[in-house]
Amino acid sequence: MAKVLDVQNVHRIYESAAGYTHALRGVSLTVDRGEFLCVMGPSGSGKSTLMNILGGLDRPTSGTYKLEGVDVSELSDDELAELRATRLGFVFQSFNLLPRATVMRNVQLPLVYCDVPMSERVERAVRALHAVGLPPEYYDHRSNELSGGQMQRVAIARALVNDPALILADEPTGNLDSATSEMVMQTFARLRSEGKTIVLITHDPEVCVWSDRTVHIRDGKLLTDAEERARHSSERGRT
Amino acid sequence: MKPRDLVVETLSALDSNRGRSALTVLGIVIGISAVIAMTALIGGINRALVGELGLSQAQLVYINVWTKELTYEDVERYARDLKDFEYITGSSYGSGEVTTGEKKASGELRGVKPEYFKAMGTKFLQGRPFTDGEERSGSMVVILDEASVRTLFGSADTDAVGKTVRINNDTYTIVGVVENLNTYMGADSVNAILPFSTMATRVTGSQTVSEVTGFAYEGSDMEAVVQRTTSYLGELYNIPEEEREDNLYVFSMQSMIDSVNATMGSFSLLMTVVASISLLVGGIGIMNMMLTNVTERIREIGLRKALGARRIDITSQFILESVCLCLAGGLIGVVLGYLGAFALAGLASEAFMDGTTEVVPYVDAGTVLMATAICVGTGLVFGWYPARRAAKLDPVESLHYQ
Repeated sequence: MAKVLDVQNVHRIYESAAGYTHALRGVSLTVDRGEFLCVMGPSGSGKSTLMNILGGLDRPTSGTYKLEGVDVSELSDDELAELRATRLGFVFQSFNLLPRATVMRNVQLPLVYCDVPMSERVERAVRALHAVGLPPEYYDHRSNELSGGQMQRVAIARALVNDPALILADEPTGNLDSATSEMVMQTFARLRSEGKTIVLITHDPEVCVWSDRTVHIRDGKLLTDAEERARHSSERGRT
Repeated sequence: MKPRDLVVETLSALDSNRGRSALTVLGIVIGISAVIAMTALIGGINRALVGELGLSQAQLVYINVWTKELTYEDVERYARDLKDFEYITGSSYGSGEVTTGEKKASGELRGVKPEYFKAMGTKFLQGRPFTDGEERSGSMVVILDEASVRTLFGSADTDAVGKTVRINNDTYTIVGVVENLNTYMGADSVNAILPFSTMATRVTGSQTVSEVTGFAYEGSDMEAVVQRTTSYLGELYNIPEEEREDNLYVFSMQSMIDSVNATMGSFSLLMTVVASISLLVGGIGIMNMMLTNVTERIREIGLRKALGARRIDITSQFILESVCLCLAGGLIGVVLGYLGAFALAGLASEAFMDGTTEVVPYVDAGTVLMATAICVGTGLVFGWYPARRAAKLDPVESLHYQ
C-alpha cells in the first residue's frame, strides 16, 4: 500500500536559555493510505512535538519526513504553508473555531488559503459537514452557540474540507465527556471507513481502541504495542 | 489568498471589534475633520471674496492724483492715452437728503457716466443704465441699489422703476435698480447714482471728478498695467519718480486678492501642522489597538497558519484592517468636517467678510482625495509593525497561547 507518511530517524532538539531539550530521539514511523494510527503517550513524552512536525508546523532538527513522497524537512515557510493548506487537516483539543463566525464560515476557512473558487466552497463545506453528521439546521449557527461535541464535529469538517492526504488530530476528545467522546470517535471511524488517513494523538487508551494500530511514545522514542507491554510488565515487576 | 477573501476576513474581524474600532479611529476622525473644516472655510472665504469682488473686479484699477483736481477732460485724456484699458470712467461723490412720500434718509450720491456701469460690471435688477442723452442733457433720473429701495419703499420687491424720489428738493425719476453697492456712511443711508452732468449742476456745483476707474482688458498683467499707468501719470504731471508713491494713487484689486490669498496660505500651513500632529497621535492610537488586537488574536493567527495562511496572508490581513480603520475614520472626518464648516460659516463671515457676505464652505475633490490618501498612508505606516509581528508569530506557540 502507498505510504502517506514516511518518517525516518527524526530528532527534535529545542534550544532554550535552560539548555537543550531532546524532545524526539530518533523517531521512525510510516503510515499507509487509509490507515487510522493512534499515537499514545503521557504528557511530556514528545507527542505534541511529533504532531507539530507531522503537521508541517515545525521542522525536525535531523532526520527526514516525507508526506506523499515530498520531503517536508526541505520546504520553505511558504511551501510548508501551502502544504498545510492543501495536504493536511488539523483537529485540535480545544477546537479552535472562530467564535463569532457561523459554522459554514468556519468550515470554509481553509479554502480561503488554498484558492478554491467561491462557487465550490459552499458545496464542499456542506459535503464535509454531512460527512461528520452535523444536521443542516446548525450550519448558520455561530460556533460559540454549539455544544462541545458539535464544535468538535465542525472542527473535523473543517479538517476534511480541503480533502487532505492526512488528518492530524491532537487529543480531539480531551475536552469532551465520555458520551460525546464516543460520538466524535465514531465520526473518525466513519472517515476511516471512507478511506481517510488519520493520525490521532492521545493519552487516553480508550480512544485507541478505534484505531487500526497504536504506537506508544515515551521520552521521545516510539515503542510498538509489544514493547510497551513488556515495559509495563517490567515496571510492575519492579514494584 | 484572493483579494475578495482578504476583504471579507478583514471586515468580519473589524465588525467583531466594533466598539473599540470606533474609539480608536476617533483620533483620525478629529484630525481629518479639523483639516476639512478649515479647508472648506478657507475655500469658502476665497470664493466669497472673489464672488464679492467679482472675477472681473480683478481687472479694475482705481486712479487718483492728489496734486490736482481732476475734471472729466482729464479722464477723457487718460482714455485716449492709456491703451491698457477697455474703459476709463470718472465718478463724483456727494451727499444729500433723499426722500419719498413717507421716508427720509441721508444719501451717498455718485455721479457717473453711462460707461461706468460697463466698467464696474454692475448688475441691473430692474430698469436700465443712463443713456448718453440723459448724460448730455443732465436729466433728472436716478438709479438706486436694492437696499436703498428697501429703505425708501419698505420692500426690495417694489417695482421702483418709474417712481420718483426727491433729492435735495429736486424730483428724480428712478430708471434702474442695481445690486447692492458698498456703503461708506452706515446701514441706514441710501445709495443713489445720478448722471455725472446732473450731479455737477444740481448737487456738487463743480465738474470735479472724485475717482477715476479703469477697466483693463481681460488677461492683462495687472502689475504691469499699474506700473505703466503710474509712469504715464507721473510724466504727465511732472511728478518725479520718488514722489509718485505719495502723490499718485493707482490701485489694482488684484493686489488685494493676492494679499488675501497670501494670508490664507499661511492659515493653510498652520492647519497642515495641526493636522499632521493629530494624524500622528491618531496613527499611534491605531498602532496601539492593532498591537492589542494581535495579542488577543494570537490563537486565531496560529489557527490560520495551521490552516495554510502564509506570512503575506497574515501581514496583509492586519495591514488592511489598519488601513480600513484609518480610511473609515478619514471618511467620517471628511463628512463631519464639512458639516462643521457649515456650523462655523457664520463666524467666518463675521471675521473675514464683515458679515456682509455669506461664506459657503467649499472643498474640492482634490482635497478629499488627498485626505483619503493620507489616511491610507497612515494606516499602512502604523499597521505595518503590528502586522509584521502577527506574521512572524510561531504557529506552534500561538496555537497553544493562553
